Amino acid sequence: MAIKSILVIEDDRFIGEMYVRSLQRAGYDVDWMVDGSDGAVAARNKPYDLIMLDIMLPEKRGSEILAELRGDNKDLIPHTRVIVLTNFEQDDESRLAMEHNVDAYLIKAEITPRKLLETIQELDKLPPLGSEQQ
Amino acid sequence: MDCRRANIWRESIVVGVPDEAQKREQELKVRDYWPRTRKRALLLTIGMELILTIVASLALLLAGFEYNSVEFLFVVVAIIAASLGVNIVLMNILLSPLKDLSDALTHVSGEPSDVVAPNSTSPARRIDGLEPLLELIYGLSSQRGVSALSTDSEQENILKRALDQIDGGFMICDEHGKIVYASENAPVKEAQDESKELKLIFDTDLPFDDWLAQCREKEVKSQRTWLRVPDGLVGDPDRKIYDVIASYEKGSTAPVVISTYNRSADYQPEDDQLDFISFAAHELRGPVTVIRGYLDVFREELENPTIDARETSALLSRLIVSANRLSGYITNILNASRYDRRHLKMNLHEHTLAQVYAMIADDMGMRASTQNRLLTVSLPSDLPTVAVDPSSLSEVFSNLIDNAIKYSNEGGTVSVGASVDGDFVKVSVLDHGIGMPGNVVSNLFHKFYRSHRSRETVAGTGIGLYISKAIVEAHGGVIEVKSEEGKGSVFSFSVPIYASVADKLAASDNSNQAIIRKGSEGWIKNHAKFRG
Repeated sequence: MAIKSILVIEDDRFIGEMYVRSLQRAGYDVDWMVDGSDGAVAARNKPYDLIMLDIMLPEKRGSEILAELRGDNKDLIPHTRVIVLTNFEQDDESRLAMEHNVDAYLIKAEITPRKLLETIQELDKLPPLGSEQQ
Repeated sequence: MDCRRANIWRESIVVGVPDEAQKREQELKVRDYWPRTRKRALLLTIGMELILTIVASLALLLAGFEYNSVEFLFVVVAIIAASLGVNIVLMNILLSPLKDLSDALTHVSGEPSDVVAPNSTSPARRIDGLEPLLELIYGLSSQRGVSALSTDSEQENILKRALDQIDGGFMICDEHGKIVYASENAPVKEAQDESKELKLIFDTDLPFDDWLAQCREKEVKSQRTWLRVPDGLVGDPDRKIYDVIASYEKGSTAPVVISTYNRSADYQPEDDQLDFISFAAHELRGPVTVIRGYLDVFREELENPTIDARETSALLSRLIVSANRLSGYITNILNASRYDRRHLKMNLHEHTLAQVYAMIADDMGMRASTQNRLLTVSLPSDLPTVAVDPSSLSEVFSNLIDNAIKYSNEGGTVSVGASVDGDFVKVSVLDHGIGMPGNVVSNLFHKFYRSHRSRETVAGTGIGLYISKAIVEAHGGVIEVKSEEGKGSVFSFSVPIYASVADKLAASDNSNQAIIRKGSEGWIKNHAKFRG
């Protein structure tokens, strides 16, 4: 199943616009949420093919959103791929727990819009995480 | 508990000096009371029986019975049998409460014996009214500790008190790691079934539980040390960091002993430094992400143009803002380092605040407009000139305005104003953002401090305000904040009016070095010299 619809949850205006702009230019259908609570609601209400999730978000952290959507024994978004995009690198429990539930964990400063598009195309060739678990 | 007591009792007899042991053997024990009383009662009964028989025989003889007749013998034997039976039954009934009391006392004394503690709530005890007496004995003994009569309890109490005072903890567990004793400061928490469990996060290949399982399987005696074991996650204000030593001995009465040493004071500063590096990296990466990303966008535009000049200019200003922000962060980090090493140097000269702000006005305006905030700056031209180091003071402006933008809402207003306040000019930066609670405000100017909210949602290095405070104080001014949760914050700082310090500055070569002396905590500005 090819990736078509993408939800970007990113509070930084510059970075968010940069991603949205490049993704739209490449032909994706993109929605953008700037805070964690709105992001979590949007992710539940519409079956996106891909969610790009920031960690440091106002209202609700990215890790909390992920736990809501994809906990230990549940998966509300089995057909959605999740890319965590953050500039925060820390070996804490939440990150380790998250890594089991996401398709990619990327450092924003290392991912230019061009690299992001390449990564999405790569993901497209792999089956979604949810379908493997089922 | 009773078993343990019994062992100690016997040991003390065996290992004691022989004379003393004999003496102790001869001493009366609580457990001896009942056998002695029963013996006395029996002897007394038999004695009374004999007297009764003699008296009865004499009475029969006087009544005319032949002493060798069958009737006489029959009557005497009947009297003996009947009275003996009645006496023994009576004795047992009357003495049974005494036996129970004696058994209860023997039990709580901790002396070794085979007596079973009488059950105070059985129906028989209710009938004979012994229930409250037994309850009282058990109640008193539990208040004083089961071993109330033993001198060991005193030592035990002293030991417990000493363990409770240790800044760390001492715990005893059973073979399966269940905590049976924990001193007061031990890192334990209550589990769901109200038992206690270890409150430590072992970030290692062999955490405590696995180690214990391994010990149970193949060790007789073992010890292991874990260093830097926290009891909470990063960000928890009560988080402590321990060194932990656990020892295991199969079959011992205390098979697992854990001692923890609170090393937070040693480890926390190092952790803060690591934390700082991690947060600084995050902060620096923000503008780098934008710069790299938008350069990518511009390259694409060069290959395949889709935007007009106005849009190109808007994208370009984002690049400029990000580059300036990156530069600002780096300056903050370097200045904080200089300040910590007491190398932060100010050169104070006569300027107007408008001149200082002009250095960063374009940058600030762009930061506000690109992030959809309205920035209004009002620095009246009739304000007196001030004695400032312009580049340092512009960083203070920049830090405070940047914070106001960060912690306010989209479309919000950030206002900068200034007014004369005695020998100072006071500058204020006001936002209508999320505000802060009081406990956050009091910590705000500490190095590496990030508020509970900003820790979670906005990552800063926690040095912007710290260095701003250092710069303002090096000018002889003060920096302060008033904030209300949900309504916004006002940060204000003061700098001296040039005329009020001109003489002093001329005498000290316009440098702040002369007005600063070293203190134990850092350097301390000499207000007296500055203010005259």
